[in-house]
Amino acid sequence: MRAAVALFALAAVLSDCGCGIAAAAGAATPGAPQQGANAPIKVAVRRITESQYRHTIADIFGMGIKINSRFEPERRDDGLLAVGNSDLSLTTSGFEQYFALAASIAAQALGDNQAAAIVPCKPSNPAGADDGCARQFVAKYGELLFRRPLTGPEVAVRVRAASAGAIQAGDFHAGLRLALTSMLVAPEFLFRIETAEPDPAMPGKYRLDAYTKASRLSFLFWDTAPDAELLEAARTGAIHTESGVNDQLARLIASPRYEQGARAFFVDMLQLDGIENLVKDPAIYPKFNQSVADGAKEQTLRTTIDLLIRQKRDYRDLFTSNETFINRPLASVYKVPFGSSGDWAAYTFADSSERSGILTQVSFLSLFSHPGTSSPTKRGIKIYEIFRCEPTPNPPADVDFSKVKDSTQGTVRGRLLDHMSNNGCTVCHRRSDPPGLALEHFDGLGQLRTTENGSPIDVSADIRGTKIVGAQGLGNFLRNDPRVPACLVRDVYAYGVGRKIDDREEDYLADQARAFATHGYRVPDLMVQIAASPEFFEVVIPKGAMPVPKPANTTAQAR
Amino acid sequence: MRSRFDRRSVLRGILGGSAVYMALPVLDRFLDGNGVAYADGAKLPVRFGTYFWGLGLTDTPAGGTRWVPTKTGLGYEVMPELEFLRPVQDKVSVFSGFRAIPDGRANQVHWSGHASILSGIAPASPLAFDGPTFDTRIADAIGGNTRYKVVDIDASVSRKPVSYSSRDGTTFASPETTPLGLYTRLFASGFQDPNSDNWKPDPSIMLRQSVLSAVKDQRAALMAGVGKADQAKLDQYFTSVREMENQLSVQLQKPGKCEACVVPAAPKDEAARSASIDVVNSNTKAMAKLLAMGLACNQTRVFNFVHTAGSSETYIAGQSKIYHQITHDEPTDAQLGYQSQTSKIAGMVMQGFGALLAEMNAVKEGNGTLLDHMLVMGFSDTGYAKIHSIDNIPIFLAGGAGGKHKAGQHIHTAGDSVTRVSLTAMQLVGAPVGEFGTGTMKTSRPVSEVMA
Repeated sequence: MRAAVALFALAAVLSDCGCGIAAAAGAATPGAPQQGANAPIKVAVRRITESQYRHTIADIFGMGIKINSRFEPERRDDGLLAVGNSDLSLTTSGFEQYFALAASIAAQALGDNQAAAIVPCKPSNPAGADDGCARQFVAKYGELLFRRPLTGPEVAVRVRAASAGAIQAGDFHAGLRLALTSMLVAPEFLFRIETAEPDPAMPGKYRLDAYTKASRLSFLFWDTAPDAELLEAARTGAIHTESGVNDQLARLIASPRYEQGARAFFVDMLQLDGIENLVKDPAIYPKFNQSVADGAKEQTLRTTIDLLIRQKRDYRDLFTSNETFINRPLASVYKVPFGSSGDWAAYTFADSSERSGILTQVSFLSLFSHPGTSSPTKRGIKIYEIFRCEPTPNPPADVDFSKVKDSTQGTVRGRLLDHMSNNGCTVCHRRSDPPGLALEHFDGLGQLRTTENGSPIDVSADIRGTKIVGAQGLGNFLRNDPRVPACLVRDVYAYGVGRKIDDREEDYLADQARAFATHGYRVPDLMVQIAASPEFFEVVIPKGAMPVPKPANTTAQAR
Repeated sequence: MRSRFDRRSVLRGILGGSAVYMALPVLDRFLDGNGVAYADGAKLPVRFGTYFWGLGLTDTPAGGTRWVPTKTGLGYEVMPELEFLRPVQDKVSVFSGFRAIPDGRANQVHWSGHASILSGIAPASPLAFDGPTFDTRIADAIGGNTRYKVVDIDASVSRKPVSYSSRDGTTFASPETTPLGLYTRLFASGFQDPNSDNWKPDPSIMLRQSVLSAVKDQRAALMAGVGKADQAKLDQYFTSVREMENQLSVQLQKPGKCEACVVPAAPKDEAARSASIDVVNSNTKAMAKLLAMGLACNQTRVFNFVHTAGSSETYIAGQSKIYHQITHDEPTDAQLGYQSQTSKIAGMVMQGFGALLAEMNAVKEGNGTLLDHMLVMGFSDTGYAKIHSIDNIPIFLAGGAGGKHKAGQHIHTAGDSVTRVSLTAMQLVGAPVGEFGTGTMKTSRPVSEVMA
């Protein structure tokens, strides 16, 4: 096995084909025809997210690059943007934004003062074209942006653009700016194009190609494109071996960038993207403003990352821990003192505050409420959806709402009890409302209260026969619910592979959930465990994927 | 001396500062001196827009509604929730009794109604439409020779910016959500004042075109070995690239003068971030004003305007319940015979539509107004929101469509498909479409009463 891998790696290195697709397939079976059953196929075309875009640009061109742009709306499916976005393309107005952004990034990265630092060679004539140097630039940055080496034609077309631009403008770097812009708006950058090739170890089967594997790992752990070492592991074929994957996983998880990747995962899973457009009625919640909203998102992320990634605590502590971080605007909402001179400070809520776990943070409480009221139903639905992976169907269209009485007095519980006693509503509301009712001591912004319209608020609830009281009772209930960690396992896997889970994968997920429990519900371990499993790289062939024709001429990479 | 001009030689000439000869593909229709009439002076171009608001209009359950006039044809009476259209009544046709027909599919609440109107297909899921929306066919027919083929706007200030325009039913346009954003898109960078005497082609545009050529060059290699769904995604991507190319080539043409075009000033303040109905309506008015000038200045001919989304989050400031909750919870007032709060808010919501039409009607153009040279189709997701009804969805066609629309009528049917009105709109603005919709909603019968 080891020898076969070494041979494969050598073949990959010797091949003068710079194309990721061709290199992998050609190296696996040298001289094999590239058409018909043995040809590579593209198994997924996934639009990169805004945060992946931002992280990639910052990694390649530095943190100083300003990205002022509106990104295309994302879509959540099966609870995750990572799944919904896999179905999305780019609209005309979206492309327009990316186009303007690409030009802006190219102008910044290759500005008069910056260009020398990032261009890997000195042009023979700074006032004209230099195809050799342009080729080196395109090959280097093309590989980082496309997450695989460029093919000969992909390089050539951009060298031509650079040359023409340099001659027209009398400036070598002006030409490079065009070449870079064209890479930044290319579908190979804006979409993750996942490719599978015939598996040399299993005739008739496919495996993900090396560069696709590198990207899957990098986006899961770092939320960015593969770095030079991951690309090297792909180039040599090391990533196709168990030890090669393990080496990379050890490096990925140990890197400071892992926090950035974990943040991206939790923003998606906890649906914190919704905070950006959150609105509240200022007449009812005068304390709400954009800095409270932004702070709320950051608070939840800081809490989650500190607890689960830095301290490597039990995932279930997320529902019961009263340790958190606050800033000044949030302290005002929580009505607690903020004595720090910094922007953020660690804070531990007192038991009497009823705050414990992320469900009692402003982010969750305000996100899943109406602009002027709390909503036990919304909160309940989201608890089931986010933490137990159990979606609630839309209300039936023909519900007879006329039987639902309006209640402008008393607590919201009264109104919801009307729903629960109504035949059309009861099936869902009996399920969705109780967890939300337990959170009713927090209003639509997340401020603590004990009465509503002068009536005391009852926060007892019955969740399928289990009686709980208040937010702390709910937190304990979720902590002990085995579906909660099982849901996280499912989310990590779906997030990583970027598609809906197939029924046939349920056994695999159950195994992973058991292992998660056995190892003390540590999230970093879970992510490594999933990424190390063969299923993480399993090929799901999409409908209608046709064999690709033999790639055109390719070129050796200038590096 | 070169005997033929190609893009590069032209570019060199421009950048050299000497030649300004434009060797560009000739666009199929040129404008005359005033920038909006065709060269033969026959007529002004027709623009088209959709206007969407959430939660329909109100029924009086014992019989009748708060919006359907009793009289059909011209001179219908202005019903309480249609007060907004009084100033422009003779330019607005009201369509009642049209319905979305799901053909056995579930009524996806706050989704099936407008999905049916726009795509002609009752949707299978609440996440996507099952086909492209008809505004894209109109944009393909009439939107090609302006800077933007279509402009999408969402004035709702709610959770996620919403557009219901899609070429594949899955990926929806990303709308402008603030007056400043809309101003920037229409009148800031890249805007060429059609009435300026100092027009020069912008040499950077050709450089940008070369960038797109490089992208398109790899299309065949990229498409090889791709599954069906992914192919559709990439097709949509390349459609967007082509439209960008078109946008750039339009900018290399000297714009014809537009007498109605007065470049507006940039909005001073960012709009308030609140979804209350007064804020949404003022956002609507401000964006409609900018849009009207965008149309008059020939920056686009097609728009999609969302006032509030399907499950509208708007509310009356200070009132804890949102409009959506009220539509469902409020009982019918025994004396009045309808939901009084709901009907009151519905009337306020419709002020947004009134504001948009007023802005379009305020721009003088040719012998009439901008509104006379456009068609706006206004519609909602439901009929009576309390019961998620997709029967009797209110639909309006506003504007003269360049003389094609016999406006100012009330058309009533006993349950015809909503697609008939969509087809009517397409045909009124000259989209070459003879049939629209699937299943029971398939129709080749426009509403001929409103067609001149």
